[in-house]
Amino acid sequence: MLVLRKFLRDIPAVAGALIVLLVLLLAILGPWIAPYPEDAAASHLLRRLRPPSAAFPFGTDNLGRDILSRVILGARGALTVSLTVVAAAMAIGVPLGLVAGYARGVVPELIMRVTDVFLALPQLILALALAQLLGPSVESAMLALTLTYWPFFTRIVHAETQRLRGALFVDALQGIGASTPRILFLHILPNALSPIIVRATIGLGFTILVAAVLGFLGMGATPPDPDWGLAVAQSRGYLPNAWWFATFPGLAILVAVLGFNLLGDGLRDLVDPRLRRSR
Amino acid sequence: MKGMTSMEITRRGGAAMALATLMAAAPRARAATPGLMVRSDGQPQNLDPHQVFDVPMMGYALNTYDGLLRYQGSPPTLEPWLAVDHTASEDGLDWAFRLRPGVAFHDGSPLTASDVVYSFRRVLALGKAPASAFLPILKPENVTAPDPLTVRFRLDRPYGPFRAAIPIVAIVNERMVRANERGNDWGAAWLAANEAGSGAYAFVPGSLTPNERLDLQRHEGHFLGWADNPSPVARIAMRTARETSTGVLGLMNGSIDFTDSYLPTDQVEQIQSSRIARVERHSSLRTFVIRMNNARAPFDNVNFRKAMAHAFNYDGFIREILKGYADRNPGPMPNPLWGAPKDAAGYAYDLGKARDFLRAAQAEGVNLRQPIRIHIQSQLEQTNQAAQLFQSDLQSLGVNLRIVSDTWANIVTATGSAETAPDMWIHWVSTYFVDPENWVGQMYDSRFHGTWKASSYYRNAEVDALLARARGLVRQEDRAPLYEEATRRVMADCADIWVYNTVELRGVSNRLANYRFCPVGSGAEMRWLRLKG
Amino acid sequence: MPGFILRRALLVLPSLFGLLVVCFLLIRLIPADPAVALAGDNATPAQIEAIRRSYGLDQPLPVQFGRYLMDVARLDFGTSQFSGRAVAEDLAQRLPATLELTVAALLLGVGLGIPLGVLAAVHHNRWPDFLLRVVSVAGIAVAAFWLAIMLQMLFAMRLGWLPLRGQISAGVTPPAGPTGFLTLDCLLAGRLDLLADALRHLVLPAVTLSLGGLATITRFTRAGVLDTLQKDFVTYERAVGYPRGRLIWLYVLRNSVVATVTQIGLLFGGLMAGAVVVESIYDWPGIGSYTVQAILTADSKVMLAVTLLIGLIYAVVNILTDLVHALIDPRLRETR
Repeated sequence: MLVLRKFLRDIPAVAGALIVLLVLLLAILGPWIAPYPEDAAASHLLRRLRPPSAAFPFGTDNLGRDILSRVILGARGALTVSLTVVAAAMAIGVPLGLVAGYARGVVPELIMRVTDVFLALPQLILALALAQLLGPSVESAMLALTLTYWPFFTRIVHAETQRLRGALFVDALQGIGASTPRILFLHILPNALSPIIVRATIGLGFTILVAAVLGFLGMGATPPDPDWGLAVAQSRGYLPNAWWFATFPGLAILVAVLGFNLLGDGLRDLVDPRLRRSR
Repeated sequence: MKGMTSMEITRRGGAAMALATLMAAAPRARAATPGLMVRSDGQPQNLDPHQVFDVPMMGYALNTYDGLLRYQGSPPTLEPWLAVDHTASEDGLDWAFRLRPGVAFHDGSPLTASDVVYSFRRVLALGKAPASAFLPILKPENVTAPDPLTVRFRLDRPYGPFRAAIPIVAIVNERMVRANERGNDWGAAWLAANEAGSGAYAFVPGSLTPNERLDLQRHEGHFLGWADNPSPVARIAMRTARETSTGVLGLMNGSIDFTDSYLPTDQVEQIQSSRIARVERHSSLRTFVIRMNNARAPFDNVNFRKAMAHAFNYDGFIREILKGYADRNPGPMPNPLWGAPKDAAGYAYDLGKARDFLRAAQAEGVNLRQPIRIHIQSQLEQTNQAAQLFQSDLQSLGVNLRIVSDTWANIVTATGSAETAPDMWIHWVSTYFVDPENWVGQMYDSRFHGTWKASSYYRNAEVDALLARARGLVRQEDRAPLYEEATRRVMADCADIWVYNTVELRGVSNRLANYRFCPVGSGAEMRWLRLKG
Repeated sequence: MPGFILRRALLVLPSLFGLLVVCFLLIRLIPADPAVALAGDNATPAQIEAIRRSYGLDQPLPVQFGRYLMDVARLDFGTSQFSGRAVAEDLAQRLPATLELTVAALLLGVGLGIPLGVLAAVHHNRWPDFLLRVVSVAGIAVAAFWLAIMLQMLFAMRLGWLPLRGQISAGVTPPAGPTGFLTLDCLLAGRLDLLADALRHLVLPAVTLSLGGLATITRFTRAGVLDTLQKDFVTYERAVGYPRGRLIWLYVLRNSVVATVTQIGLLFGGLMAGAVVVESIYDWPGIGSYTVQAILTADSKVMLAVTLLIGLIYAVVNILTDLVHALIDPRLRETR
């Protein structure tokens, strides 16, 4: 409760939480909230590029589709991509980090070297190359992002595990003959959970952003997906007149990523005792 | 603390102000360079016209190089250029071109028959894109120069499109290229970043950043002279805008004078109303095609293909999305060209008929539930718009069309075999040479299977025979009926969905007058332009 | 200390090798055939086949990789399959533009980020702090490609204050050398007019690229200053009535920027990658736009070279960062 009260006093973090909640709601309820849910795929040639009005608060796009509806419908795609990527990256990164931090010898060294290699890869370029390799689609974008994001989790978990390995309770557990997987997953992992959650929250925002870049460069989502990055890319051919076409999908990216980052920062301040002291 | 901060800010503010003053004082670049125009339509992959042959290359080479003949005007006609006249033997095997005397390259040396022979041999030896029109019928040793002003060709067998393909070969300065040969590379590495031509404009050495910028300077001594043009462009700055939209923005704020010719139709009105620039609109010879893989189910069924052809909203696409800037073209041949049958009506948007044909296809065992994939070129928005329009109509027919965003290189690789070629894909067929061979010939003769142009994998022995015969004849009046008949049969079989013939849209600054359009090169020949002010 | 540097440098080598292997495998498996892109629109299958052979694309993968390694060792990155030019030459010609942009973005990030961070810390938990926190997070959250378009619309189109695209105006002839860095060359040639023109072109791309770094630096400075403010010497100085402004800008900041400095090093790699998007929107003639072109045309040699280059820069920066750490904290030298 004390933690919650402390969190509620952090205004930016609360704002972030509210935005995340909103994005979640839109992702789940999008098809029921959107004024023109059929505009996910339909096209209306007779009402192309209408400026914002009461009927179309964000205007219409190059195929006459309501941009507000497509911004709302885009939330599900963005969130699906980011949740999948972060979950998959954790599934790869966390166990590797635990092993690398706990074991001794060649294996952990090897894991951390491979992690270094992937960390040194320019992420965006690797993701672009991979998307090209697999043929541009949401699935290949997700695979590419996963392959570039797991090392972050490995590194965090590795550091935490190394720190905890020497702790008294681990010695004790080893002493009473607890199995290594048991120690790792039941005892060390819960203690390392906070930094993982913080990283995951920020990672969700980060992934939305990079997926949007891939969509923008034509290497991610494919038409007629109501993808935000793709919409900004398509809007370029209609500038400077159809400013609304470029503006609103871009704002959606900004707000969503902002939400996850503010929330992540708030959580970090909450769980990181060193930083907590400093604020 | 307050005092310190504001002092900091003042100091920083002062620096910023000085910087701003400095930047505001920057010269307006155009005023500093009289006679300058800026093009945003991109430069070729490299500068060697014998290695690359596509639209950007023509935009470069038509200005820096000359050919024996040149296409001019719209509809294009072949005009004498470096060659003043030419003759062909009765059997179409022997050709002789007589050169214009007194033509000089940019370095001042004379252009002779030996340069022409070297250029053709070089094209054949390098074997890259421009060679494909000549490799099957011309051996290097059969290009000869009996005297300094005569070039002879002896073909292996009669070849109808030979004369039409002559302008493809740019004449290079033999002496310069030979001096820069490395090993037996025919000077390929050197010419990729240099120029050895005689054209109306000369490449400015040192001005090249590949794919970014390149300058051309007017060549005073061009053989045509400049008497016809009182105010020619003196210097051409080619500055690649990666996106057409950037070019349009530049056109509207006055920093670019000449965009590419693929303007989105939605831009036309806003450019026209800008007073600073206009859109040059010209019917071209560039067809827009939705390909179907005839070798694979369900497109191996003619009724299914016809259902597809009736399900595309041609008028809606042309009138609403393209705002009328395209001409409906019901067959594979561009309407204005000879060899296009004037009596073939093609297919019309009619969902009722589409349903009937679908039923007929189903009766013949076609599975209508099977999802179909259409590949679009992610960089070209129009392919996407067409696919999405198609998708929503097909949805109402119960056909599931999936759009796959793809790139040119990927698609072309995939079209290498019938198994890997996409179900459907969308592209244009531009004018590489003005001959029916460029369209119906290379698209539907089964001997070209494996090339992107023949990616429908259409196979009809009668059509093959008609096309082979047409290719082996020399006179247009003999060839035309054969191409017409072949086209009629391909259309009856509904091999593909033919949509429109392009109206090319290019943004041109109002500083430039006397824009001359030709479908070959898309109007990027600069010597005719006149600069105002 | 030299031993430490050597050890760190040697540790980078296997990583770089791994980097090469990973990239090579990924890129060579791309289905798009570079020979097709190279042959051009009108090529026949036979021509494509000939090109494939002449570039060694028909050899088995390990052979191709072995060849590539030997070439890399000689700093020969092969010829671009798209343009037919030497990749090393293209990179050398384009790297200065990217470095110029990156350094400008970094300067902007540091020049604004540190004062803003201090400002946030001084007004800790009051509205300037909240505002700056939100704004600095927004700097990370904004999509650079979108921001770039918005800035173009506002400053190049509506207001007409700044150029739309490119590195210098079309009508001027930039000085040919000696450094390859355009602004520096203009300055050395004494062409202040050209320098001003180049700077005007630099503003929008640099601002777009700098935002992410600006946000990071603001945050780290804020945290660092907050930490230092609670240290004993500050409490002491404050107690004896030392002027607060001077205390903060001279002593506290000096004691807090260490973490920020290491961040600056790390940021550099991120900026190089961010340049990919920014450069292609502003038509900036650097390696970023070159990379996008290479990816779209499946030009594997270029992709490999760029990945390696950025990986190398990242590795060097990592070593430097470790060095700074080790200089500050001698204990690290033992544990590493």
